[in-house]
Amino acid sequence: MTTFRALARQGGGWLPLLGVADLAGTLGTLALPVVLGHVIDSLVSGASDRHWLAVAGALIAVAVLADLVGAFAAPVCIARTTSWLRTRLVRHVFAIGPEAARRFDTGDLVSRVSGNAVDAAQAGPGLVGAVTAVLPPLGSLVLLAYLDVWLAVAFLGGLALVACVLTAFARRTTAVMTAYQQIQGRIAARLAESLAGARTIAAAGTVEREERRVLEPLPGLRDEGGRMWQVLSRSSAQAAAVGPLALVAVLAAGGMELLAGRISAGELFAAGQYAVIGAGLGGLTGVFGQLARARAAAHRAEEVLGIAPVAYGPQGLPPGPGQLVFLHVTARAEGTTLLDRVDLALPGGAAVAVVGRSGAGKSVLAALAARLREPDEGQVVLDGVPLDRLTHAELRDAVGCAFERPVLVGETVADAVGLGLPADRVRAAARATCAHDFVSRLPEGYDTLLADAPMSGGEAQRLGLARAWHAGRLLVLDDATSSLDMVTELQVGRALTADRGRRTRLIVTHRAATAARADLVVWLDAGRVLGVGPHDQLWTAPAYREVFG
Amino acid sequence: MRREVRFGVAAMPRRPLLSLAVWSVPEALPSALFGIAVARAVDRGFLAGRPLVGLAWLGTLVLAGIVGAAGSRQVYRRLGELVEPFRDELVRRVVGGALRHRIAGRAEDGAVARLTRQVEIVRDTYAGLIVVVRGFVVTVGGAVVGMLSVAPVLALLILPPFLLGVAGFLATLGVSAGRYGASVRADERLSATAGAALAGTRDVAARGAEEHVAALVAGPIADQAAAERALARVAVLRGLCFAVGGWLPLVVLLGAGPWLIGRGLTAGVIMGGLTYVLFGLQPALGTLISGLGGSGLRYVVTLGRILDATTPPAVSPPRTAVVTGYDLELSGVTFAYGPHAEPVLRDLDLAVPVGDHLAIVGSSGIGKSTLAGLLCGLLRPDAGTVALGGAPVADLPPDWLATARVLIPQEAYVFGGTVRDNLTYLRPDATDAEVTGAVAAVGAEPLLARLGGYSAELAPAELSGGERQVVALVRAYLSPAPVVVLDEATSNLDPTAERRAEEAFAARGGTLIVIAHRLSSALRARRVLVLDGTTATLGDHSTLLATSSLYRQLFGAWDGTDLGPSRNVGTAFPERARATADPRSAPETPRIRETG
Repeated sequence: MTTFRALARQGGGWLPLLGVADLAGTLGTLALPVVLGHVIDSLVSGASDRHWLAVAGALIAVAVLADLVGAFAAPVCIARTTSWLRTRLVRHVFAIGPEAARRFDTGDLVSRVSGNAVDAAQAGPGLVGAVTAVLPPLGSLVLLAYLDVWLAVAFLGGLALVACVLTAFARRTTAVMTAYQQIQGRIAARLAESLAGARTIAAAGTVEREERRVLEPLPGLRDEGGRMWQVLSRSSAQAAAVGPLALVAVLAAGGMELLAGRISAGELFAAGQYAVIGAGLGGLTGVFGQLARARAAAHRAEEVLGIAPVAYGPQGLPPGPGQLVFLHVTARAEGTTLLDRVDLALPGGAAVAVVGRSGAGKSVLAALAARLREPDEGQVVLDGVPLDRLTHAELRDAVGCAFERPVLVGETVADAVGLGLPADRVRAAARATCAHDFVSRLPEGYDTLLADAPMSGGEAQRLGLARAWHAGRLLVLDDATSSLDMVTELQVGRALTADRGRRTRLIVTHRAATAARADLVVWLDAGRVLGVGPHDQLWTAPAYREVFG
Repeated sequence: MRREVRFGVAAMPRRPLLSLAVWSVPEALPSALFGIAVARAVDRGFLAGRPLVGLAWLGTLVLAGIVGAAGSRQVYRRLGELVEPFRDELVRRVVGGALRHRIAGRAEDGAVARLTRQVEIVRDTYAGLIVVVRGFVVTVGGAVVGMLSVAPVLALLILPPFLLGVAGFLATLGVSAGRYGASVRADERLSATAGAALAGTRDVAARGAEEHVAALVAGPIADQAAAERALARVAVLRGLCFAVGGWLPLVVLLGAGPWLIGRGLTAGVIMGGLTYVLFGLQPALGTLISGLGGSGLRYVVTLGRILDATTPPAVSPPRTAVVTGYDLELSGVTFAYGPHAEPVLRDLDLAVPVGDHLAIVGSSGIGKSTLAGLLCGLLRPDAGTVALGGAPVADLPPDWLATARVLIPQEAYVFGGTVRDNLTYLRPDATDAEVTGAVAAVGAEPLLARLGGYSAELAPAELSGGERQVVALVRAYLSPAPVVVLDEATSNLDPTAERRAEEAFAARGGTLIVIAHRLSSALRARRVLVLDGTTATLGDHSTLLATSSLYRQLFGAWDGTDLGPSRNVGTAFPERARATADPRSAPETPRIRETG
């Protein structure tokens, strides 16, 4: 439950403290002008009474203290809430499993964790801020009216004029801004082109020529920029001309009332102050905007946190060879059937190739075997135990999965392969999958930061393979060697064959050679199993041969 | 912080700066006049029973506002004249720096973001800083002049605590900048770590490493929160400075009130003094603190990152060398990508005489492209020498090198411009006949027709990988260089097109070195170099079948399907290049040493 209130509660004691401080500060600010007015009047009358002076001093002390407390409490409260929400979001994305997480883009998830979490964490302080931001302008208006009703009328008249000018500004800037960004985009596109061709440019010695080409649109950028400043100069001139009007109107009205003896000199001074505080009315939109952002961001967090996590069972695996059984398995997505009542019994320890045209359901089969998605009907059973009955640890120790486009996660290359495994097992896995040779040639070997190790598709696939190598009973390869070059494919293929008997291998492939090396081939078409048998036997069917183009 | 401030100040052109200062004078009028007008309006007008005088004094405020507005208008124009050249300078720096760093081998993934986002942040904050600092100076200057003309004693009471607060605030800026920078870095690290982790939900789940990876992200999350708390502590320090500079003058003035009245100062004068503090100095200080503490820190940190990322890499000046011919010779070449890395190439000897046709075979990541980079002088060996015509190739001047050898990498470079510009990139003075000849030789006519001829504008995004490679091949064919290195330059072509292109280059004359993507490239070459990580073996096809077990395995597993049908290709070697090529026969004994 991540309602607005739950978020507000995460601030702990800081939020109430912030509320008290802000409220005290606001009331102090509102009271000060009246008190200062009294001080002035008592000074003028020559009274020896220092009473109002002491009150003014106390109010200033309160304002300063409230300011200091607020300056610390607000960011600390936000930081606390943000880190709580971020941790929860990240953990929850992993808990709901890859199939449920797929409905969100990665970039979208990152924005929920980075930017949105900060916005959502503003919920508590934002609410406090909204209350304390409304008080001063409204209070000023009330106090102006209390001092003298004409003061309030004069103030509102002046304010209306200022508002007209400021709204006109926003409209004019947008058009100029668009033209500016278009030119900027042109320069960026040219730069991206040249960066992509760096090796050609380096060899051709044409850096200066490229620099000129990229910068060619730059003078246009300056022209558009100049236009932006012109719009800005007009608007700022208008703002400067009308800015003092509200204040002057209040002072003039107040002066006349002073003359008539209806207010004192001190009250006139206070009126001027309230006119300034009251002008803060325009700033309110910002405060409410922030509150709206916090609400929207909390909603976005809730969208993720509301998804139920994947459930694991209590069971372990009995001893067994890794026999994999699909019992009447159906998988659907958005109304289409991806796998239709598939029944398969794959012998333990065998190398099983899965072939079929693209869209036949090969990857869905692989994902189900590795419990990376749940069957909509039926069961996937490993050595007699349905996968969803296994504990998390038991399942992931027994089953490993490598992908066509592995995403490497971790700080270093070693971490990306091991994800917590000790170094010797990382190296052993890397050697088995022919990744050791190129990893040891990286600038820092296994300790090279992932960010500093740009990798080809084939290199990433070898690391992805090494990462899955720990699997005890079942190794699922979802087109996981498709980008390897001839030499490496040969070596990896040999390592997989040498694995015979130790564990079951489910190998999704497009290559006839790989299917030929397997003990058994599962031939899929449009979500159904068309045949199961050795490659040579299936090869007699023309439709089977067509699968390999 | 000093470097960024110096950079910003040095970038200001003097004339607009001077005129900015001049136009600031009318803009200061309202703040200077404010206290006086209030004091006089009360004392001589409303309290003296002369409402017209009072209203007239207030009217001067409206007039001053209009004069100030005229100043303000000019000020923003001048601001544009300061800021726009500054932005241009930054754009030039970012573009030049990114290109040079990329060429020196750095990744430069952030360059486009630097250009579109960071430069704009610096531009906006730079303008914001000028506005804030100038506004502060104008308001304070106006207020001081005003106070002195109302009653000089006001200035004596008000200014010392005010200046103390300002000085205190300025002193905190260094710490603030450091902490703000730390928080920005923490933020970016968090985004990067979270991005990598969340992109891999499938992979993490498959490995059962949810806890491990969540813990990986927890670190940056905690660091980020700590950085925010550190910033909050500086904010308290700033709040104290504001209390001293903004509130203390008021307290002092009020405390001195009875004494001032005793010395004969009027209520209006004291109100004027309070007005200067509450309407002038206090808001000015507030704006300065939020301006410098907000956009000022953004300016310092963002500009700092731009400057760090765009400082041009050191380029060693080319040395003079005597070059005779175009023979390539590697002796004892060792190269590693870092001090802790296994060498990619170890103690390699190789001679490639002019006119040779060499294919290099090996698995990906084994060092083929590295060898291409060394041969072309883009990389320097850690030990040993790579010589072209007897001179160390990395020492030769780049523009001369460009006429001697051409490298076409796998990722073909195509840019927005005419088709002809793209084709003649390496030989801008090529005649139409030469261009047409090259297009015909490489087999690029269908592509040329599809693109709409030589003068059509080329949109790089609309070209497939193979089409880009065809453009690059025509370009290389046209180049005057007698030495051609194709680094998997035909990987996206079908086997037939690849064969045609390679045969065209073989017939072009000069030296051809092909980093093979397909085994068929090796069959077409005169000699083949097999790299397998620990050894390098050189020979022709039949020799290698006998001497290299890796080569034997490869051909054993190969079904020959990628060998395109043979085809005769006419030679269309440019005259100039032929003149310099002078092919000679290759020495028979390759000098390759077994290593490791």
